[in-house]
Amino acid sequence: MEPAVDTQTAAPDRSLIKKLAPARKQLLACIQCGTCSGSCPNADAMDVSPRYLWRLLLTDNAEEIFKTRTFALCSTCYTCTLRCPRGLQITDAMSLLKQVAASENLPLYKRSIRFYQSFMESVRRHGRVREMEFMTLYFMSMKNPVIPLKFTPLGMRLMAKRKVSVEIPSKGTQKLDAMFRKAREIEEQS
Amino acid sequence: MKPKIGRALVVGGGISGIRAALDLAETGYPVTLVDRAPHLGGVLSQLDNQFPTNHCGMCRMLPLVDRDAGAQYCLRKGLFHENIDIRTSTQVVGIEGEAGNFTVRLKRQPGFVDPVACIGCGRCADACSVSVADDFNAGLSMRKAIYLPVPHMLPNTYVIDPAACTRCGECINVCPTGAIRLYREGRQDFSVLVVDDEYTVRDSIKEWLEEEGFSVETVGSGEEALDLIKQQSFRMMLLDIKMPGIDGVEVLKKAKDLFPDMTVVMMTAYATVETAVEAMKTGAMDYLMKPFDPEDLAGKVIGVYEAEEAARAEEIEAGAVVFCGGSEGYDPSTGKNTFGYKVFSDVVTGLEFERLISGTGPGGGGALLRPSNGEPVKKIAWIQCVGSRDLQTDSDYCSGVCCMYAIKEAMLAKEHGPEDLESTIFYMDMRTVGKAFQRFRDAAETDQGVRFVRGRVHTVYQDTHTGKLVVSYPGEKSRRIEEDYDMVVLSTGQKPSSGTDKLAEAAGIELNPWGFVRGEPFLPAKTSREGIFCGGSFSGPKDIAESVISACSASLLASATMHSAGKGIAVAGDDTPEYIDVSHQAPKVRVILCECGGSLPEGIDLRRLAAGLEADPFVESVSFVSRICTEEGWESLAEKVKTKGYNRLLVGACTPYAYTRRIRELGGEVMLDPSLMDVCDIRSPEFAYGEETGGDAIEKAMRRSLSTGISRLRSVDPLPKQTVPVTRSALVVGGGIAGMTAALAIAEHGYDVHLVEASEHPGGNLGWLHSTVEGNDTAILLEDTTQRIEKHPLVHVHTNTTVVSAFGEVGNFFTTIETADSGPQTIQHGVVLIATGGREAETRSYGYGTSDAIVTQKELEEKVAAKAIDYSAIESVCMIQCVDSREEPRNYCSRVCCPSTLKHILQMKQQNPDISVYILYRDMMSPGFAESWYTEARKAGAVFIPYTTYAKPVVSQGEEGGSKVVISTREPLLDADVQIHADLLVLATGIVPNLPEELAGAFGAECDEDGFFREAESKWRPVDSLKEGVFGCGIALGPGSIEGSVATAGAAAQRALRILSKNAISPAAVTARVRHSLCVTCERCIAVCPYGARSIDPDTNRVLVNAVMCQGCGNCASECPNSASVLDGFFDGRMLDMIDMVME
Repeated sequence: MEPAVDTQTAAPDRSLIKKLAPARKQLLACIQCGTCSGSCPNADAMDVSPRYLWRLLLTDNAEEIFKTRTFALCSTCYTCTLRCPRGLQITDAMSLLKQVAASENLPLYKRSIRFYQSFMESVRRHGRVREMEFMTLYFMSMKNPVIPLKFTPLGMRLMAKRKVSVEIPSKGTQKLDAMFRKAREIEEQS
Repeated sequence: MKPKIGRALVVGGGISGIRAALDLAETGYPVTLVDRAPHLGGVLSQLDNQFPTNHCGMCRMLPLVDRDAGAQYCLRKGLFHENIDIRTSTQVVGIEGEAGNFTVRLKRQPGFVDPVACIGCGRCADACSVSVADDFNAGLSMRKAIYLPVPHMLPNTYVIDPAACTRCGECINVCPTGAIRLYREGRQDFSVLVVDDEYTVRDSIKEWLEEEGFSVETVGSGEEALDLIKQQSFRMMLLDIKMPGIDGVEVLKKAKDLFPDMTVVMMTAYATVETAVEAMKTGAMDYLMKPFDPEDLAGKVIGVYEAEEAARAEEIEAGAVVFCGGSEGYDPSTGKNTFGYKVFSDVVTGLEFERLISGTGPGGGGALLRPSNGEPVKKIAWIQCVGSRDLQTDSDYCSGVCCMYAIKEAMLAKEHGPEDLESTIFYMDMRTVGKAFQRFRDAAETDQGVRFVRGRVHTVYQDTHTGKLVVSYPGEKSRRIEEDYDMVVLSTGQKPSSGTDKLAEAAGIELNPWGFVRGEPFLPAKTSREGIFCGGSFSGPKDIAESVISACSASLLASATMHSAGKGIAVAGDDTPEYIDVSHQAPKVRVILCECGGSLPEGIDLRRLAAGLEADPFVESVSFVSRICTEEGWESLAEKVKTKGYNRLLVGACTPYAYTRRIRELGGEVMLDPSLMDVCDIRSPEFAYGEETGGDAIEKAMRRSLSTGISRLRSVDPLPKQTVPVTRSALVVGGGIAGMTAALAIAEHGYDVHLVEASEHPGGNLGWLHSTVEGNDTAILLEDTTQRIEKHPLVHVHTNTTVVSAFGEVGNFFTTIETADSGPQTIQHGVVLIATGGREAETRSYGYGTSDAIVTQKELEEKVAAKAIDYSAIESVCMIQCVDSREEPRNYCSRVCCPSTLKHILQMKQQNPDISVYILYRDMMSPGFAESWYTEARKAGAVFIPYTTYAKPVVSQGEEGGSKVVISTREPLLDADVQIHADLLVLATGIVPNLPEELAGAFGAECDEDGFFREAESKWRPVDSLKEGVFGCGIALGPGSIEGSVATAGAAAQRALRILSKNAISPAAVTARVRHSLCVTCERCIAVCPYGARSIDPDTNRVLVNAVMCQGCGNCASECPNSASVLDGFFDGRMLDMIDMVME
């Protein structure tokens, strides 16, 4: 059997490993107890458990990490962070992985990347999320006509309950542009 | 033995405190032993079973030399030693002075029950209507407000819980001896005068303060106040500044002139600085600004009251202080409590589990039943590291004891539960760091079927349908597994004892970041303040053996402090009283009976009883004392024994145990050997038979008790015993850090020490070690110790020397040593300490020897020291733990390798953070505060990969011509094979002992199966051998750190000093002897003697008994087929007489 981890050949993509360093740093003191995996409400939906994911991270197995959807499924409930006996910022590490995936624009995470981007785009325009606009942006960025159809029943139900209303996308006030620009600058610097 | 002039104070009466107190008492120091609890014993009074025997065994700590100085009682029942003054319910409130001359202020919690008058009948508890949770049973059962703190204590006197007591007074009405004095609590004697012109203000203050228990008077003007303080005395006055008539400041001046001691606090709505300052200048203690919070006001008054009370505390002089304040179990209900402790009643702590299965526990029967519904437990789980190794509860340390107690409890559960009981332990690392611990764990797993699961349980919840507890944990591939259990035990860790911070402040000693007392580097028993020492878990989590060792080592330092301050000299005056020789007299027993103040049940006629006893020809006379337990009663008894005409004394009273000390004192006064005096219990029969059976039955029982006592006294052999002279010098074999430390400790007490070292220089393993994981420099320790050794006139160092042969017994050994150049020499010495140490084990595993890249830990240490490592050229390092150890035949943990590994990781990462470090381990053993270095090593980026003995790592050579080695192992979490290409492979091979069996055998000691020094008892006598006078310390005793070696060296020296501090040892009253006319020298008695006290004299062919070593156990007497071996005072005939009396 081919060794999954080989200290000489593992993860040739050093740049990816470098990008993972902040997340890895969060997890260094991990003792592999598995409290995070046991307490995660989404663990059943994940392809590998958080403990497995952290083990990959700590053994510099970057490629394997970006074959799993585990971190993309993190709903930021913070249960793992609350319970970790080492006091590790596990949820933050999950977010860091999401950021790496987004900045690398990895195809496996296209949906969630676009979803977040559309969300933030709507926030940028209006200072809050406009649900209909947000979903429109998302459907447009996905360039797949099947997706809007999938969401139609949900949209109808929400509209019937007046949870969302029809809004035409607009450029908004653009008052937050400066802030978003600055944030991007900071991100690029780090 | 005459006591010394210095007094030691031991604070805390748990196992460490008892050990320290006994140690100091046995070397002749008077000791004051205080405990804030109403009883001694600490947490061990609640623990019935201890690893590895799963029994108790605390009594093994009792004095073995000069046994009669203490009571030979079960230590769980109580402690008595003539040099120990025990004060319970007492706290230390301050320590002034310096080492050698401390003045300690002690404060006693007022007791409501007079312990002398209380006879423990329990009528008060029956009458008490309050019911609160019982701390003794960890809150699992209920008790009354008046209760027995420990059910098995002797004398067992009731105490009142002041917080629960309603002061209803019902108990006073039923107490037959008037022992309960529900006198007004201290606070009510503290009278406060409130002066304010506003009625509402003074009235509400009165109400608030009365609620706190103070007595309060109020007046509405300055004039009235000045009148009242002349009539009545007040301790405190609350004084309003702005009042019509005489204002507050004026009242203050006049009051202070009259009563300068009265504390005055001003009250003002106009808190201008001027008025306050003026008032303070005139003598006001403080001022309060109106409006004020009731709590602030009460807090101020309580503060004043407590400060005054503390100032009134008793002061005692002490040369040195030993703190043994112990630790506390973590309370899982604080914090996140994801295990549902106190939410589900079947979730219990380790301590609660011990209480549940105890015979004195809440169930009473000791069966393992579910607290929720009383059904038997069939499936039970232990969850490790609850409140330990948890950064979220401020405990980045390992409690060190929970692993072993969980294994022990899992074994006990099998005994107390059904046969098919399933037990599981969820753990992260099973820390089996002590001697024999690993084998114990293996036995639990293979013989008892205890299941060990690596992983942390994150949640326990209850299935509402079945009532079972559901434990959910990450299993294979980290998938969540849920299992049903009947009971879940949380292995709670140790936390600093509550009030540690306060005590440390009062004593002026420093704490470490975790709130335990900070010890000095390499000397954890030494606190930051000179002359104050620390034993047991007060300075960090410890198990029983470690606590006992650290307590011994602390008492040694205390003794050295007092010695160097000149307090080690014996008090002036006569030596041991010369008792009258009664060996040629026929027994004549004087009987004195206590009438118990006329409170004996009706129908009992003591005169009739006396007449019956007087008919016995051995009874000289029978007389009566009204109440022996009172001072007058005892004086009247002392008067009655002054007249001559008798040679045995029997006192009929209650609780014989309470009189041990007084009987000894009385013996000194009337020159009668205390072994010829006895106290017989005539009150218990009353309770045993109950009043309804009538006076006749009770009287008969009392007569039986007295007749048995008379019979026993008749048979006491009054022959004076031969004392054994002591050669007051020691031999220490082995000149490592343990040997040197022990030698210095003994020499500093003024005794000659011969230190024998086989190599050219003393120093042992310190010669190649350079630092510890804590960063302490071992070179300084080595240099300092060797210099002190060389300079000390009483330490005689023999290098290049070995022990050739030895013979002798405690007090007098004769050892021939041989030095390379100068030939043999015979040394006479009283004790011997074996400190031969150990060395790094050799290995042939993991390709050792095939590549320069594969080194042992010692080789790495040497390379690091020689700066022979180019850190920039290293990419990757692999370290394998437990090489050839923790599996047969070397099935023990060497304890030092894991901390060394952590040290090496941190060193390397510091030199070059880019080095990848992989550690292949089975269980990382970093008990105690070493755990924080484990955290640091992980934070530094080291990758820890566990392996099992079933799938060990495999080492192979790397590419041809390359310098790397390849280590293949299985990563269990990824479930994948891992290959590590390492520039350096470090093997942790562990420690093997240097103790040749012949050397141990020459002194009558033994080696254990791994070749270490066999201790008499792993928990209670961890540095003694079964043969008195032979002690082990350092690595010879078992693998350990430098700190551990220094501690065991101190402990062994302290044990040796018990013997060296005496000119001669007098045997105890009860020892065995041989009637040579009946002896056929079959030598069976020699074989069964557990203390090695018997030998055969080759010249006379007679069996000899060393009376000092003999502990009077009686094994020989029961083994001897001819009744030639007898125990003094327990001859067959007399024993049968006594039995006759009982059966009468």
